[in-house]
Amino acid sequence: MLKVLDFFNYARSKSPWIVHFCSGCCSLEMLAAMGPRYDWERYGYIMTPTPRQADIMFITGLVSKKILPALLRTYEQMPEPRYVMAIGACAYDGGPYNDSASVIKNMTEILPADVFVAGCPPRPEAIIAGLEELKEKIKRGEPSASSQGGLWKQMKF
Amino acid sequence: MSVGAMLFYILVFPGLLFLLAWMFFVFYFARKVLAYMHKRVGPHFNGPAGTLQTVFDVFKLLTKESITPKSADPYLFNIIPILAPLVAALPVILIPWTPLINNGHGILDTEYGVLGLVVLIGVEPFLLFLTGFGSNNKYSFLGGMRILAQMVSMEVPFFLAALSPALLFGTMNLYEIQSQNTWLTALILLPGAVIFIIAMLGILEQPPFNIPDAEQEIVYGFYTEYSGTNYVLLKFAEFTEMLVVLSAATVLFFGGYRGLFFDSFWWLFLKVAMLAAVMVAIRASNPRLRLDQMLKFCWSWLTPLAILNLVWIIFAKIYILGA
Amino acid sequence: MENIKNILNKFDMEYVEDYKPTWVKAKLKNKEDILNVVKALKKEGVKTCSTISPTDFIDENKIEVNYFLEDLFNKRNVWLKVDIPRELENCEIDSITPLMPSADWHELEAYSTFGVKFKGHPNLRYFLISRDYYGKFPFRKDFDWKEHEKNLMQNIAEITEEYFDEYEEYEENVGHDGSRTVLNWGPTHPASGPIRLKVYTNGENVEKIDPDIGYVWRALEHLAERKDFIGTIVAVERICFMDNPNPMICYSQAVEEIAGKEITEFAKYMRVILGETGRIASHLISLGGFFGTMGLQTFSMWCLDIREYFLDVLEDYSGARIATACIEPGGVRYPLNDYKAWFESINKAIKKFEDTKDDITDIFMKNPLMNTRAKGNGVFTLDDVAKYYLAGPIARASGAKIDVRIDEPYAAYDKLEMDYVTCENGDARDRLYIIFKELQQAMDLIKQAMAKIEEGISEGEMDPKKDHLIKMPKRMPAGEAVARVEWARGEMLMHLVTQEKATSPYRLKLKAPSVNHTMVLDKLLKGKTLSDIPLLYGSMHICQGDLDR
Repeated sequence: MLKVLDFFNYARSKSPWIVHFCSGCCSLEMLAAMGPRYDWERYGYIMTPTPRQADIMFITGLVSKKILPALLRTYEQMPEPRYVMAIGACAYDGGPYNDSASVIKNMTEILPADVFVAGCPPRPEAIIAGLEELKEKIKRGEPSASSQGGLWKQMKF
Repeated sequence: MSVGAMLFYILVFPGLLFLLAWMFFVFYFARKVLAYMHKRVGPHFNGPAGTLQTVFDVFKLLTKESITPKSADPYLFNIIPILAPLVAALPVILIPWTPLINNGHGILDTEYGVLGLVVLIGVEPFLLFLTGFGSNNKYSFLGGMRILAQMVSMEVPFFLAALSPALLFGTMNLYEIQSQNTWLTALILLPGAVIFIIAMLGILEQPPFNIPDAEQEIVYGFYTEYSGTNYVLLKFAEFTEMLVVLSAATVLFFGGYRGLFFDSFWWLFLKVAMLAAVMVAIRASNPRLRLDQMLKFCWSWLTPLAILNLVWIIFAKIYILGA
Repeated sequence: MENIKNILNKFDMEYVEDYKPTWVKAKLKNKEDILNVVKALKKEGVKTCSTISPTDFIDENKIEVNYFLEDLFNKRNVWLKVDIPRELENCEIDSITPLMPSADWHELEAYSTFGVKFKGHPNLRYFLISRDYYGKFPFRKDFDWKEHEKNLMQNIAEITEEYFDEYEEYEENVGHDGSRTVLNWGPTHPASGPIRLKVYTNGENVEKIDPDIGYVWRALEHLAERKDFIGTIVAVERICFMDNPNPMICYSQAVEEIAGKEITEFAKYMRVILGETGRIASHLISLGGFFGTMGLQTFSMWCLDIREYFLDVLEDYSGARIATACIEPGGVRYPLNDYKAWFESINKAIKKFEDTKDDITDIFMKNPLMNTRAKGNGVFTLDDVAKYYLAGPIARASGAKIDVRIDEPYAAYDKLEMDYVTCENGDARDRLYIIFKELQQAMDLIKQAMAKIEEGISEGEMDPKKDHLIKMPKRMPAGEAVARVEWARGEMLMHLVTQEKATSPYRLKLKAPSVNHTMVLDKLLKGKTLSDIPLLYGSMHICQGDLDR
């Protein structure tokens, strides 16, 4: 029985589908990661049009206050188990927009990310490497960080 | 028919296992061919050359949460994904798959093969419309409406084109049609085949007629709210329908499992794969049409051409084949 | 030019003077005259408002409103200033939107951020800023950002509340009978990016489009005020990463003008090469995106393939793929130690494009289904260009001969051979073709600039290891400058104000073309079907980054 469950975790880690949500400039490097040179489909990643079929959500760089409710809503629409990956300095502490008050600086507190990829913007190789790390986490069957806590649970959206 | 044979038909070939294998194959095949046309590699690391990718995808979706939205109609929303693959798989019994089963006839050998095929293929879209209706989502509903509009118009040339071999050979039995087909008649049927393939793209919602699930316009059409197992079942229905329609095309126009030197299932499979490759190539090079343009194309070009094609078949039957 | 000056002199002006070859700078004494001045200018042919930029002089207790008015086809521009009182209740001026529709959203922006009330504006409302800033006018110098930020969670709750209210309002107004509904096209839509188009539909037919913007609003204009002159580069280049170098060129020009410095010839040619490389990188995304909106991904993949080689060029020079920060006031940031190797990588990228060009033309540019969809769809006439100020490729697709690189040459564009690239019809297909033509023009310009640099080096006039940067003063004198560049999506205008011995900009207005291009979406899409939304939206080559700033 344990072996079967392991296989399901393994299958889950091998086919991560990513929801198409773009809130900042880093999505441009995601586009490059999709493109011919980096081609993340080799590893099985694809973009899905709706959150209903996705496993991973990207926080692509900055999250402004106005888009946050939409982001959380999209996350809420994803089926369990769901994981969050934050890319770009902005998703961690605001990055270059750290002193702009219209950008959210504590995104990792609101929606904790499982993997954070540094860079402004991170290179496509870095994004893929971050996803590979997330795969390991899924393979071990660990619950996602955002299901464990985060301010988003108390928020209305 | 013995119980053992029946179970074999239902569970193994041409039933469940075969259809599942087909789904794994065609999903991978389409992704890989499309990727090469994109100058990419496509699935590569999971399994040898990425062949296990779709297996993992399916098992992942099966273990994921299946969400039923609060506003959706729970019965309609959950029953249709079970009905859809069953209905899509029904025409399988009509098609002569291999010389090994039933002396080369279809499992159900009937005089109304063509009719049954067309009717059973035509039922499927209405189920998909109901998924859009039951989701109670604006985009799903629009997708459902679009699929109805597309089916109602595309089925006319589809049916007329499917009639042309029946008219030429004077029978609706699929086995008869396939075994009477020669190089000459295949040539005569070629215009009909082209019309059939174009209408088929519309029936299967393939580009340039992928209007009902147009990602950029209405998110994912009737699939929008589906997740987990329900989504797998709907996709399974889609690929099963694709297999049925493609093999119907080969049986009607390209001689089914008959081939050079020997007759075998693999000839049919090769022809189906070639048709699928053509479909992917069209998908890789052509943008989507607009709904009204599709309707206009269908009613003012494809349908008249399909009727003209019948005239040509009658002409050819009388003057070329000398019946 | 003389005509315009004569017209302006008829009114009560503080001064009327020449500014750059194509500009007249004037200051109006009474704000009541503004409508009459604009009316007279419009009669003369100055039909377009580029942008409106208020500057908050808190010490003098006034707000200075700058109008940048342009006569697009005769290349005569007017920079009109007028002072208005700073107190919120008196801070008002007549709206010029009824005369120049292109000013519409710029006035809304000025109202939302500075509180300048525009009397007579058809629909004055808060715009761009998020819900928590309503009525607080964040760009005013006395707005306390730190204080505002303390209530972050409460602010977010307010924003969310607004969405719920809006949803209920639709439910009430539209109801469930009949075929009318409101679709939210974005911000989570697969093709939209962070913008929301409220689409009022009747079945498949679009009745009205109401764009809701501000989803990537980063208050860059305000951010620039807190950084020093070099640090502002960080804010400026992040307007939009697709075409990264050109905004920096624009900003650097404004700073250099205030400092009164002239950069070296070598740096000028380098700016051409970098700017055009950025343009190519951006245009390749636009090209692919156009087909992507019709569900065809192949072309965008091919374009991404070519784009990688041009990003390599930027990376070889600056070390970063898209956030290059490679241009700064005084020239370009890095010396070119091995110019031959760099030119080699440029040539490799250009060759990559030229190898694929024939295939692209045959398969995609002549694609019959693309023709069916895009030909004759979403037409803009020359009048529309002047009325709404469509800029750059969108204007040139309609046949307008507008190009800042030629009209008001900057960097080394005056020394290179180039001509206006135009199409005639102004439909969606032409907006695709123009991008493809401009790609080839950009590559031609790069080749010319490379040849000039090589020539300069062999004659000993340029030293790629030393000439890249001149020394800029740490502290700027008081001054004001307007700089324009031809960005990948159209004219980019920056208005920079500095104060005596300043280390950071006092006010930096960024004007980017996507604002106007989004403004016309309602006009463009009314009466079309749902399927046309992504196509026509994609054909405007809108980037949300420069839409919101």
